[in-house]
Amino acid sequence: MSVLSLLTILLDGLAFGMALFVISVGLTITLGLMRVVNLAHGAFAMIGGYAGSVALANGAGFALAILIAALAAGGAGLAAERLLFRPLYSRGDLPQALMTFGLTFVVIATLTILFGTAIRIMPLPPSLAGLVDIGFRAYPAYRLFLIAAGALLALLLWLVIDRTMFGARLRAAVDNPRMCRAIGIDVDAIFATTFAAGCALAGIGAVLGAQLMPLEPYYALRYLVLFLIVVGIGGTGDFRGSLVASLVLGLIDTVGKYFLPGASSYIFFAAVIGLLLWRPRGLVPGPSQ
Amino acid sequence: MTTKLRNLGVAVAMATALAAGAVSAETVKVGVIATSSGPFARWGEQFQQAIQVYQKIHGDTVNGTKIEIVYRDDGGPDPARVKQLAEGLILRDRVKFLAGFVFTPNALAVADLVTESKTPTVIFNAATAVVVRKSPYFVRTSHTIPQVAKPIAEWAYANGIKRVVTAVSDYAPGFDAEQTFARQFKAAGGEVLDSIRIPLSATDFSPFFERIGQMKPDALFIFGPGGPPTVGMINTWASRLKPAGIKLLCTAETQEIDLPKIGPAALGVVSAFHYTETVDNPLNKALWKNLTEMFGPKTTPDLASVGAYDGMELIYRAVEKFGPNVTGDQAISLWKGIAFDSPRGPFAIDPVTRDMVENIYLRKVEERDGKLVNVNFQTFPMVKDPWKEWNPE
Amino acid sequence: MIARAGNWAMRAAPWLAAIAVNWIAPDYMSLAASVLTMGLFALSLDLALGHAGIVTLGHGAFYGVGAYAAGIFAIHVWADPLAGLAAATLVAGLVGAVTGALILDTSGLTLMMLTLAIASMIAEFANSARDLTGGDDGLTGIRPSPVLGLFRFDLWGHTAYLYTLAVVFVWTMIAWRILGSPFGHSLDGVRQNAARMRAIGAPVRMRLIAAYALSAAMAGTAGALGAQATKTVSLASLGVLTSGTVLMVAVLGGMRRRWGAYLGALVYVVGQNFAAEIDPFRWMLVIGLMMIAVVMFFENGLAGLVDLLDRRARPSTGGGK
Repeated sequence: MSVLSLLTILLDGLAFGMALFVISVGLTITLGLMRVVNLAHGAFAMIGGYAGSVALANGAGFALAILIAALAAGGAGLAAERLLFRPLYSRGDLPQALMTFGLTFVVIATLTILFGTAIRIMPLPPSLAGLVDIGFRAYPAYRLFLIAAGALLALLLWLVIDRTMFGARLRAAVDNPRMCRAIGIDVDAIFATTFAAGCALAGIGAVLGAQLMPLEPYYALRYLVLFLIVVGIGGTGDFRGSLVASLVLGLIDTVGKYFLPGASSYIFFAAVIGLLLWRPRGLVPGPSQ
Repeated sequence: MTTKLRNLGVAVAMATALAAGAVSAETVKVGVIATSSGPFARWGEQFQQAIQVYQKIHGDTVNGTKIEIVYRDDGGPDPARVKQLAEGLILRDRVKFLAGFVFTPNALAVADLVTESKTPTVIFNAATAVVVRKSPYFVRTSHTIPQVAKPIAEWAYANGIKRVVTAVSDYAPGFDAEQTFARQFKAAGGEVLDSIRIPLSATDFSPFFERIGQMKPDALFIFGPGGPPTVGMINTWASRLKPAGIKLLCTAETQEIDLPKIGPAALGVVSAFHYTETVDNPLNKALWKNLTEMFGPKTTPDLASVGAYDGMELIYRAVEKFGPNVTGDQAISLWKGIAFDSPRGPFAIDPVTRDMVENIYLRKVEERDGKLVNVNFQTFPMVKDPWKEWNPE
Repeated sequence: MIARAGNWAMRAAPWLAAIAVNWIAPDYMSLAASVLTMGLFALSLDLALGHAGIVTLGHGAFYGVGAYAAGIFAIHVWADPLAGLAAATLVAGLVGAVTGALILDTSGLTLMMLTLAIASMIAEFANSARDLTGGDDGLTGIRPSPVLGLFRFDLWGHTAYLYTLAVVFVWTMIAWRILGSPFGHSLDGVRQNAARMRAIGAPVRMRLIAAYALSAAMAGTAGALGAQATKTVSLASLGVLTSGTVLMVAVLGGMRRRWGAYLGALVYVVGQNFAAEIDPFRWMLVIGLMMIAVVMFFENGLAGLVDLLDRRARPSTGGGK
């Protein structure tokens, strides 16, 4: 065990952690911040991801595909928020969980009828597909890109939520919608915008993470546990929890796989249960619950 | 004594049911249980298309008896549902033959049932070695995992690969592949450095492959279910181990249908399998030609197609010889030791084990006309399933 | 007097109808048995979720544990079906009690995650303990001996159906009795306002653990019935989809409703069976739309719809606000 291989493992863990953050970043908005039990996160991600892959297949560049994914998922999110989510905001966890589960089924069935069950091909641009020399070894460029993309998304969220008036209003609207309405804040518009933004991020995450979690119709169910665990461990009310949770889980999972490959899935779930029992309100608990 | 009497009662009831079925005279129904929904829906589609091609080439009647196919969807590995579907097909639809079965647990689930009802059952896939032993009315037209994992181990040792790591998905077929490969490879004199079992839920394979890379083996043998895990494993090998000169060995992972998803990473991968889409024989050409004519230019035959195609051949031959009132025992006695030409090459059913005997091809992934395909470079002729020799009944 | 007799008839009628199915639909015995098994499973979830308010996404674990326990017991210990049933019920109840004690201090999203994670770990264990469970190949070779030494499990499934019906009847009566008891009412109290229940001195945590264990035991029985009727157990029985399905069935039928679980099971299992013969993908679409519709418009599920149609129907013993 050399220092260099240890460095590689840490880098691998960081990249996988960022991948977890990138695919669940939309859910940190809808579930984490807005506290909607959104089991349909993967369904919105798929809508975006499929739109992105269709764009790529028709000659669009990678950046354009990401934009199209965001628009498609965000648009779907906006429509769903108006029709399905708004009546359920005040009705508690269970109706939200059930409705979004049903919505996931609808999206899976529809995408299967339209596109079949095969994995969608999501080719990387040549600049991301190869290896990069990082001093002590050649390392996949895509994984470095994931780390950068995750960091960028986290920075963006921090700026918008903690540093803008919109973010302040959003936090206030989640904590006390009645008070906000009373002082003239358009809570409905804020929720609609934020929910759509969360869904758009889901679509972006689906395209960015597609090399590790390939898109196929069961994407929404296959990775549901993973999305939920990231936000659940991070804690609702503050997106920074999800970032910390992603990185911690990514490192634990990677180190476990490397040293004890046979027990790696036990290690992952044991870590999840341990973290949840140790910090039931999340690693970075929100301001109020 | 009472049990015997009851068994007799059941037998009489069954006989009556079968006689009632025979009233509908010149039609024989075949119940096909396959996966037509869920993540594995491609299997059901490939079965159905191959059956339609078979019926187009050979007609839907044999000696005046019409062959009618009744499809049922099991949605994936779900033995409880499969047993229910099989009961419905045998008791209500009065099918003469059962066929299909993508997954081993689904095939095992009907073993007792078809033994009791004496329904001849053709397994188109379900590749765990033990399956056919579970009922005297089972035959199989696919391959077993040891049947393909043993030749690749033999080939590897004979071709300068002395130190190997195995990495298989953590599920029953993976264990079979791992154990067969290791047994053969060690017997030949090779060394297995490590045997890694990768959880089915894993999405990032880098840590496993990083560990493998540090052991510096000559080659890596992998086994995974189709879809995301296979694509992930081969891509991770290409980015981490291929540059270090570590070869990749496998079996079903490079199927034509998965190759476009894997992409150029698959170039150079060596696999052993019982069917290669580029096999050069007239039956294979006819199968491919009809598939593309009937279902579009992108349709490609694969192990599912050939399993269903040859399964239909067995059923047609049984009806041809014994007519519409063919019994389970007649069909099985005909099938034991039967041999014919198949799109895969020569094909036979072993008279003792009721499992297939067939060529195993060693193939390499190459690019031809801008398309990735498997190309045969060596043939192990008429291989039997080694598992049955290693585990006598 | 007449009203009481009518009420009694209302309660007995579904059971009599269920017995009659044995002769009315002899070709559909295993389907009918699946309806009953799924109904019992949904009823167990209704106990934990509907009444005690424990939001779980991992109830399939108990169904699977019961199924494997019954199968392993039949293969290695004793093939008697009733003994297998008892063993499975006990094991599942025990797993429920232990995991319940571990996680029932939490609530909301954390609790959902914990139930998911525990179910995933149990499934992982079943997959790797191949010698015991058959792993991904499934557990086969379960051959239950005749019920009470008299009634052989026949190919047509009559024995399995009537046996399932008897077990389901007994469990349902026990469940209704418990829900009508002070303990049952205290669960409704915990769901509606745990803090108030604590304030009046009720041992909330112990009550929740007891309800969870009871619910797990009942789910274990359902799993065992499934294993004995189909003679196989697969990893899917422990999976996330099993947990999701039972949640759907319970909600579709209507929670905290006397016949809700069975009504949901009837519609879901029969619908799915016929969809498998016609078009499975559109069934997924239909069930998804049905779920959304139930949540948005019919909070009380199919049982609530029946109420709307028949105003005279009385709310169930343990339920309501």
